[in-house]
Amino acid sequence: MNRKGRSLADFRLAILAFFIFFVLFIYSSLNLKNVDLGYRQHELLLAEKKLRLEIDSLLARRAELLNLERMEKIVVEKLGYQYPEAGQIIKVIEDDNE
Amino acid sequence: MNRNRQGKKRFFVLSIFFFIWIFLIAFKLFNMQVLDYTTYMAKVKAQTNRIEELHSKRGTISDRKGEILAISLLSKSAFISNKDNALSLAVFKKICALLALGNSQKINVIKRIRRGEKFIWIKRKLTDDEFLQVKALALSKDVAGTIDFVDEYRRVYPQKKIASHILGGVGIDEQALGGIETSLDSEIKGRGGKLKVLIDARKKIFQFKYMEQPVTGRDIHLSIDAALQFFVERELAAAVEKYQAAGGAVIVISSRDGQVLAMASNPDYCPENIWRTPMPVLKNKALSFLYDPGSTFKVILAASALENRICGRQEMFDCHNGVYMIRDRQITDVHPFARLSFDDIIIHSSNIGAVKIGQRLGGKKYFQTIQKFGFGRRTGILLPAEENGILNALKQWSGVSLAFLSFGYEIAVTPLQMAAAFNVLASGGFFIRPDIIMNDTPGGSQARVLSAANQRRLTEILTAAVSRGTGKKAGIPGLEIAGKTGTAHKVKRGKYARSYVSSFGGFFPAHDPQVTVFVMIDEPQGLYFGGEVAAPVFKAIAGKIMLYLKLFPDMPAENEIRI
Repeated sequence: MNRKGRSLADFRLAILAFFIFFVLFIYSSLNLKNVDLGYRQHELLLAEKKLRLEIDSLLARRAELLNLERMEKIVVEKLGYQYPEAGQIIKVIEDDNE
Repeated sequence: MNRNRQGKKRFFVLSIFFFIWIFLIAFKLFNMQVLDYTTYMAKVKAQTNRIEELHSKRGTISDRKGEILAISLLSKSAFISNKDNALSLAVFKKICALLALGNSQKINVIKRIRRGEKFIWIKRKLTDDEFLQVKALALSKDVAGTIDFVDEYRRVYPQKKIASHILGGVGIDEQALGGIETSLDSEIKGRGGKLKVLIDARKKIFQFKYMEQPVTGRDIHLSIDAALQFFVERELAAAVEKYQAAGGAVIVISSRDGQVLAMASNPDYCPENIWRTPMPVLKNKALSFLYDPGSTFKVILAASALENRICGRQEMFDCHNGVYMIRDRQITDVHPFARLSFDDIIIHSSNIGAVKIGQRLGGKKYFQTIQKFGFGRRTGILLPAEENGILNALKQWSGVSLAFLSFGYEIAVTPLQMAAAFNVLASGGFFIRPDIIMNDTPGGSQARVLSAANQRRLTEILTAAVSRGTGKKAGIPGLEIAGKTGTAHKVKRGKYARSYVSSFGGFFPAHDPQVTVFVMIDEPQGLYFGGEVAAPVFKAIAGKIMLYLKLFPDMPAENEIRI
């Protein structure tokens, strides 16, 4: 093999090595990306779950605050409203905005 | 030269060591990757692969306006991971200072620690405040991993006692123990799932896959209105207290579609404590309480008489001045009359007049009408423990059965059946199955049992029963109410006893019914007539409903109404 033929063989070998390196690089990069996305996906799943729990918790809190006995207590004791007596005449104010 | 040879020798020796080292590594790798592949792979999987159980969350229950009545929240349950009995006992002593634990519970935990059990519950489903307190203790150095927590769902009923008999409740493991929680349990509870995860050395998940997708329980929208339910329960409780009654029930139905707007049963309980509530209290009297309806049942008799055209409305019947004998049985009227018209028999609730109508009607026709009005079988409402009622087959009737059935004896009904029967008149003559769940197409199951003309006639009679008959105390000036009172002896040990059930059924506005209400008070003390006990409860509830649903009577001058 002459000098020119040897350098061509070396070049091919270098190309092959580069190609193998490139494939391995892509493969490992994708794998690392996959793992990274896995972490992210799980974090998002946990965040979603946390938000759902928080929503439920807030809904429950809202419902507790709107508990009718509590509301009645506030209306009667703090605001001083009273239920109408039997036979009492009350005036109905119709709200056009409703 | 000599030095060069010595250098080569050293290089040769080092090379040998290097190759041996490389060989050992290669051998080890070969051993790990090929020969012991399965063993090491199993270890890797054990360290990185986990299967996580995903708990299903019970669906949320809300009323027709979306107000939450039951919701599941994630909570922490605390347990002792017992590695050292002395340490565990010391830690538990500290926990006792933080949490309100019962004496028997404390003794139980101490016994289990002394027995050396490894896993001991301290308290399940801690509240947020309790968790924060116990967590602070668990993180302190001297506790050293003795306290740990697991996630569990906790069922919360924000309205506390409101609608307790409809909701039911769940046990500590979220198992349904009554009410809608039981009847729709398979839909509400959902299904747990499994998640296969890969974790790293820091125990962080970097890959996961659902082996079984969890299914969250279905959210349920009830037809009830929490505010109406509150008013109704309040009025019922007040009446039960006032008359020292054994209990009672009230049902409010939307007349047109049969949707239950409120269903109260007294005594009531808090659904969060259902597991420690006595059985008799858990009974939903609206659909499990059987009683002889008494005079409210005359409405069914009148409907049957009108449908079968056995008499005219103004036809007079001999009422024997309040005492009448059938075979060896004496039938009496509270208010004696010599003669009454068909209308007045219902308006003044004459038992003897009802017997006379029943006799003319005949057993077969009356029995058919009773069946058409839904008696003797469950209404089919989606709540557990509904009773069928007792309606004897026609061939089992004795010589006095027809007479007694004419004024509401020899039959056992539930308040819900009576409410559904009154709703036949309010809905224009249709029997509509009462529904507790909000439907897109309410009132789907309808069957005509009364002609429109007879429904109007009967409504007129019942309106008169409130304006000038036994139901006067149910009347609200300006609001047309149609209704009927009922008073009946209770059956105790197979005999009619001197204790009573008072009831009142009605609907309003009579010319365009929107709401049907049935009130039953069980064993009132002192006063016991339906017109004295149940009618005022009806009035109080009707007044509240009138204001809440804005069913105002024809507005008098300056928009003033008397309630």
